[in-house]
Order: sequence, then C-alpha cells, then structure tokens
Amino acid sequence: MPPAAFKKKYSETQSSEMEASGAMSRSLSILPSPVKEKFPQLPDSPQVTLAQELTSNIVPSFRSPCSSNQKMVGNLFSSAPGCPSGLGCSSLSPNTNRWMSSPFYSISPRDGVSFPSTQLSVSIVENNDVPWNVDAIENFLDMPLNIPVQNGPIETSTGIMSSEDRAKKTDWQDWTDQLIRVNDDALDSNWSDLLVDVDVPDPDPKLLDLPPDVSTCQPQIHQAHPHPVPSGESCPVIDSPTATSTKARMRWTPELHEVFVDAVNKLGGSEKATPKGVLKLMNVEGLTIYHVKSHLQKYRTARFKPESSEEKKSNTGSEMTSLDLETTMGITEALRLQMEVQKQLHEQLEIQRNLQLRIEEQGKHLQMIFEQQKKMEEEKLRALSNSDKHSEPSEDNHASIKDVASDVCIPVDEHPSKKETSSEAKPCKERAPDDRGCSPPMKRAKAYETVTSGASHES
Amino acid sequence: MKFGKRLKQQIEQSLPEWRDKFLSYKELKKLVKLISTAATLGRSMEDGVAEAEFIYLLNHEIEKFNAFFMENEEDFIIRHKELQQKMEEVIDKWGPKGSQPSEMEYKEEMAKIRKVIVNFHGEMVLLMNYSNINYTGLAKILKKYDKRTGGVLRLPFIQKVLEQPFFTTDLISKLIKECETTINSMLPPSESARIFHAERDHQAVPGEGIFRNTVAALLTMQEMRRGSSTYGHFSLPPLNLPDFEVIQSLQVIFPIQIP
Repeated sequence: MPPAAFKKKYSETQSSEMEASGAMSRSLSILPSPVKEKFPQLPDSPQVTLAQELTSNIVPSFRSPCSSNQKMVGNLFSSAPGCPSGLGCSSLSPNTNRWMSSPFYSISPRDGVSFPSTQLSVSIVENNDVPWNVDAIENFLDMPLNIPVQNGPIETSTGIMSSEDRAKKTDWQDWTDQLIRVNDDALDSNWSDLLVDVDVPDPDPKLLDLPPDVSTCQPQIHQAHPHPVPSGESCPVIDSPTATSTKARMRWTPELHEVFVDAVNKLGGSEKATPKGVLKLMNVEGLTIYHVKSHLQKYRTARFKPESSEEKKSNTGSEMTSLDLETTMGITEALRLQMEVQKQLHEQLEIQRNLQLRIEEQGKHLQMIFEQQKKMEEEKLRALSNSDKHSEPSEDNHASIKDVASDVCIPVDEHPSKKETSSEAKPCKERAPDDRGCSPPMKRAKAYETVTSGASHES
Repeated sequence: MKFGKRLKQQIEQSLPEWRDKFLSYKELKKLVKLISTAATLGRSMEDGVAEAEFIYLLNHEIEKFNAFFMENEEDFIIRHKELQQKMEEVIDKWGPKGSQPSEMEYKEEMAKIRKVIVNFHGEMVLLMNYSNINYTGLAKILKKYDKRTGGVLRLPFIQKVLEQPFFTTDLISKLIKECETTINSMLPPSESARIFHAERDHQAVPGEGIFRNTVAALLTMQEMRRGSSTYGHFSLPPLNLPDFEVIQSLQVIFPIQIP
C-alpha cells in the first residue's frame, strides 16, 4: 500500500488520536506543563506533534531503573532519523505517536535533547495494552504486513475488521467481567465506571466507526494511572502499580510460586481455593487478582491433566516413533541420546548468549570512549589558547580508566578483525605511555586517559 | 537472506504453537528497504512513515516475544514444581521406604516421569533457543537499519533488548540445569556421556517433536555461525559442535533440510 494513502488514513484519525493522547496526558501527573500548554496547538505545530508522540504510551523496560534508561534513549532520540530539530517532524503524521509508543523506552525530561521546545516525560504504562493498541492500528494499517493478531486467528491486516472486533470485544468483556466480579477489591471506582461506560453500550459500532478513538482511548485511560513504578522490585517483578483491572504482565518466579502453592494448599487445594482468597493469603505487594487468577488456572490444568498433557507433549509429532524403535534401541538409550542433544543445545545457547552480551558490552564501551573522545576534541579546540597547560591525571580516574581499557583490551585480542577508528587511535603526546601490553588498545587507553584528564583539567 | 532462510527453517521445525511467535524478519527487512538510503538528505514523507513503522513493528515484536516467553516461563515453573512433587509422591508410595514399597511400580512410574522430564527439559531448551534466535534476528535487522539510514538506532536499542524479559533467561537456565541433575541421577550411568556411542543405534532414534526440533536448532545454530561476508566485531565466532557428525547423521532420520 502506498505510503501516501497510508498517511491519509491516519490523518483522518488525527483528531481522535490527539483527543486520546490529550486525555492521557492530562491525567499524567508527571507531565510537565510546557507540553500541556502546547496541546491546543497540536494541529499546527509539528514540534508539538513530536512531543505528543514521545509522551504517549511509553513503558520502561521491566527491571532496569528508569534513570539508567534515560541517557541511552535520550541519545537515541536525538539521533533518531526523521526526528531532528522538528524539521522532519511533519513527515511523521501525528498518529505515529502510536508507532513511537515503544513499550521499552522511558524518556526523561532532558534539556540536552535537540527537539525544540519539547519536554519529554516519563509515563509508565501497562505493557499489555500496547499489543492492544497494536491490534487497533493494524486494523487500518492496511499494509502487506502479515502480522499475526495476538488474540485472534492469523489473518492479513486487510479486512480484519470483523474478526478483530470480535477478538477485541472478547478482550474487553473479559476485563469487564474481571472488574465486575472483583468489585470489592481495591479498584478505582472511576476506572471501572469508565470501562463499563465504554464497554457495555454496544462496543461494536464504536469499533467500526472510530476504531482509533475507542480502542486507543481505553488503554490510554488504563495507562493514565499516575503511579511511577519503582522498577526492580524484589519479589514480583511487574509493572502494574496497584490492584487494578489492568492486564499487567507478571513475571513469576519459583519462590513466588511456592508462596502461591502454600496459599492454595492452606485453602484446601487448587479446586477449592479462590483467586481472592489466594491473593489475600499470599499478601504480596503488587500482585493483582488477575495474576492470581490466570496462574491458578494454569496450575489447575497442570495438576489435573498431568499425565495426559505431559504424555501428549511427548508424543507430539512422533511420526517416526514406534514402540518397536524405542524398544530396539532401548528406551534408556533413546532418552540418553535425546538428553545429550538437548544438553548440547543448551550449552551452546549459553555460550552464544554470553558472547552476545560481551559483544554489546564492548560496543557500549567503545561508544562511550568514542563520545568522550569527541567531547575532548571539542574542548581542546576551545581551550586552544591554553594548550600548554599540563595536569597530572587524577588518581581516582586512573583506576577506572584501566578497568575500561582492560575490558576493551581483552576482546580486541579475540577479534583481530576489528577495525580501529582513527579518532580512537589518536595518540596523545602529552602523556607518558602507559604499559598496557597490547598495542592497539594502548592508544585507546591513552586517548581515554587524556579524556578524563582533560575533564579534570576543565573542572 | 541467509539468516532469513535459517529462521524460516527453524520455524518450520518448531512446535506448532510456536510458529507464529518468531521474529517477522522478512517484514522488517522489507520496511528497512523502503527507507531510502542515508544519501538522500531530505527526509521524505515516505521515509518518515517507513521508519516509524519499522520502529513500531520492532516494538510489537519485542512485546510478542516477552509475552510468549513469560507465558511459557510461568508454565515451566508450575510444571517443574509438579514434576518434583510427583517424584516425591512416587518415592513415598512405591519407594523402598515408602508406604507400599514395590520395585516394579516404582520403576514403572519413575520411567514415565523420566521421559516426561526429558521432554520438559527439551522444551525449556527450545524456549531458550527461541529467545536467542529472535535476539539474533533483532541484532541483524538493527544492523541493517543503521547501515541503510546511517542512524545509530542499533546500540541503544539493543541495550534495551538485552534487558527484556525474553532475553533474560537465567531462570529458565537454572530450571534446565536442575532437570539435568535430576535426570543424571535417574538414568543409570553409562560408560561415556558422549553421544557418539549412540551412533551404532542411530537408526532407532525416536522422532519426537521436541527432540527433532532440538537437533534442528543445534544444526541451524552451527550453520548460522559458519561465517558470513559481513563478519565484523559484532559477529559471533564459528561454532564447532563436538559431535557434529553424529548430530548430522540424525538428520537422516529426521527429514530436515539443512544443507
């Protein structure tokens, strides 16, 4: 589908989108005022469009504290193509706020960002609502993107409307059911009212007429709950702040499961125990009834069909298996063989994963060094008149330089194909050479030293 | 298209419920191609749209991975505990010190559990493989994107990906190791742990879905790391499987087309 037509579809929904985002941003307590003020200007100003985009559904990654993400993403957005100083913003229709709504970026208020007159804020959202948005968008993306719909049968985007609607309707009804049943829990009454209002009176026409409005409105409102999540909670690692109806994605651990099992047993077993009872008994902060309910369901399934489901899995796809074969080889031997292969795969996966981690670590270091180098060069240019001044590298910086440089040193040995960028290899005449042992990183290490000494020189 | 082909093979060989949960590598590549090269200074309308779509799709994919991964992880946690419990029950009932000691029953039940655990182990390993292959695909597509647009999306994005639930597989790994320990104690010790001993019997290998997929995964991994034209300092070194010949011979049994 040609991009032009694509964009047109989006501009039709522009107003409703803005409305939705407006609603969301109004309820965000963290949103700084400049952006708020700008909202009325939305139709005109591309810069504000961008602000709107960037303040829409944004979820920090699960376990990392917000602060650590900020720098990274700040960098990202300042250099993201298509979004420089507002020039290219007009190319991104306002509705790309959905696209930009990454569930993974947390964006901090940052002065250094190159967007003019834009302040970005952190908005914490429910993860599960993003696929929801996604589905809504996919409806009229009308693209040859055969993205399988998460809750419905796999179809192409074109003409998905009806099945999508049905799927969504079921979703909503699920949620509404949850809400209504769980009324006595600590639910925000406003929220349940909102939901009921939107849902009950005939969701279908709403869907068909104004899909973006309704579909994006709802999760927006869900997400508008102004609770910044302290990420990195010890016990349940979730991003749902309160015991609300929102479908937050919960990451279970064996320990948490133990607590769950204990609670269930205390309540008389998996059949007798109710989600509410289990939730209360478990008394785990941040755990919602929804989590408990779905977990209980899984638990029951695992218990009451243990033999049949497990054995069924074993026999899946066993076209080649016959009891004769297995007895020929001996079941034990067959199992052993299977085990060996699996173990090897696991081992290799672990190795591969560690390698990947190290590669990225290294890349990060290099990037850091590179940027420091750049900064240093700029500073040097400015301080050109004072170039005669020397200063000893500060002792405390020295240790960290060595660490970084040695981290960088080791992988270099393993990857001799790596190229040196000329700026990194820039020698520093002022410093006495440090004894490193491997020459290419030596230059880098020296450059880094110069950087930090330059920094200390400045201060 | 090499990775794309490998990914496709892997998907074809995977468990049916998993097939639509893998990375939409092809789609992402198409989107990247839509973005004009960095040579063009002015960002056209189409560019912006394509790029935004690309990022949108990336996020969607990651969300997909996370959801699928955590769903399965939760299942695994539950099943793991259940298996342990089952074992205890069997030991308590038919074991030597149990309430109704019966060697035959004990052996029979334990054999069943053993098989279940081996498959359970396999499934978990396959989930790890799923995580890894999707990560690899993401890294590749980001590299392509940067190359095409001259942008620097890759590095920060990958850093985020590394923290995502679907890539933080420590828990699964731990469960896997526990299973391995359990199975080691359940299987009578053999002369050698190396699977080349099974070579003589390789024509009698069971062709279960999980096992077959594991073999495919291993071989695919090796193929993918064989070395490419764009080998750089972000590439992984070639993989040398110790029992490569044997594993390859298993291909004869499984109709996997891995050249």
